[in-house]
Amino acid sequence: MTWQTFFDFSTMAHRHLVFVYAGVITAHLGYMGWIVRNWTRTTRHHG
Amino acid sequence: MARSPILRAIAWLWFAASIAALVVGFRQAIFLAPTEATMGNLQRIFYYHVSHAILGLLWPYINLAASLAYLYWRRRDPLKALSADALAVASAEVTVLYAGICLASGMLWGKPAWGIWWAWDARLTTELILWLLYVSYLLLRRFSPTGQTGVLSAVLAVFAGIDVPIVFMSIRWWRTQHPAPVFGGGADSGIDPAMMPAFLWNLGGWAMFGIFLIGFRFALERRRQLAEQDAALIALEASLETPQ
Repeated sequence: MTWQTFFDFSTMAHRHLVFVYAGVITAHLGYMGWIVRNWTRTTRHHG
Repeated sequence: MARSPILRAIAWLWFAASIAALVVGFRQAIFLAPTEATMGNLQRIFYYHVSHAILGLLWPYINLAASLAYLYWRRRDPLKALSADALAVASAEVTVLYAGICLASGMLWGKPAWGIWWAWDARLTTELILWLLYVSYLLLRRFSPTGQTGVLSAVLAVFAGIDVPIVFMSIRWWRTQHPAPVFGGGADSGIDPAMMPAFLWNLGGWAMFGIFLIGFRFALERRRQLAEQDAALIALEASLETPQ
């Protein structure tokens, strides 16, 4: 398989293959981004 | 803390190694693994789907162990119990992520392969129940009264853990729309040896990334717990300074 055939959207099978790979990577990056966002917003208040 | 910079360096190295493994895994899965005879390129979903399915059945055991540790320590050693609770919530969230990806990628695979998005067979249904159990675990943590959260969620985690072996055994106990076990399913099971590098790189890569996510989320929860303790101490000190 090549990049060209990977992004061949002519059949449902090819479209779903790209959706799975793109969706999985997006879901993981989204969750990691949510953790980073909360990390920067959570600060300790040293009394 | 003196160990914090070392832990941070280990975390960055682990993150970099997991990304490298995932890049190799992607290249193996898309460009190097042979095209399967029956399904063609659609079968390449296998490398992401099965990796997440396997790991989605392993993370719940971290949640179960941490929940049992919380129940054991909550009166004996409350500080250790707080750490166990942080690990439990981190592993539950990553379980929801991995099991959710397993379900969604399975549906996207099922439609072109079977002609249907979903079948109420034993494997798909028990996996959906597993996902719903951990979603309800997170909702319980979000909405239960303060002070009760740890105990209630730890008890639910024990029941959720029971579903894991049922999901695993479902394709062995019952005839299902879902294929029979690919690994350890008897003489006819297994994949083409040329597909193994793609499978193993993705399994290893997603396992490493999942461990990174659990560790990062655990660190965030500990940070939140410590911030909460600091805020409580400041409030207590302020109340003591107020003239009576």
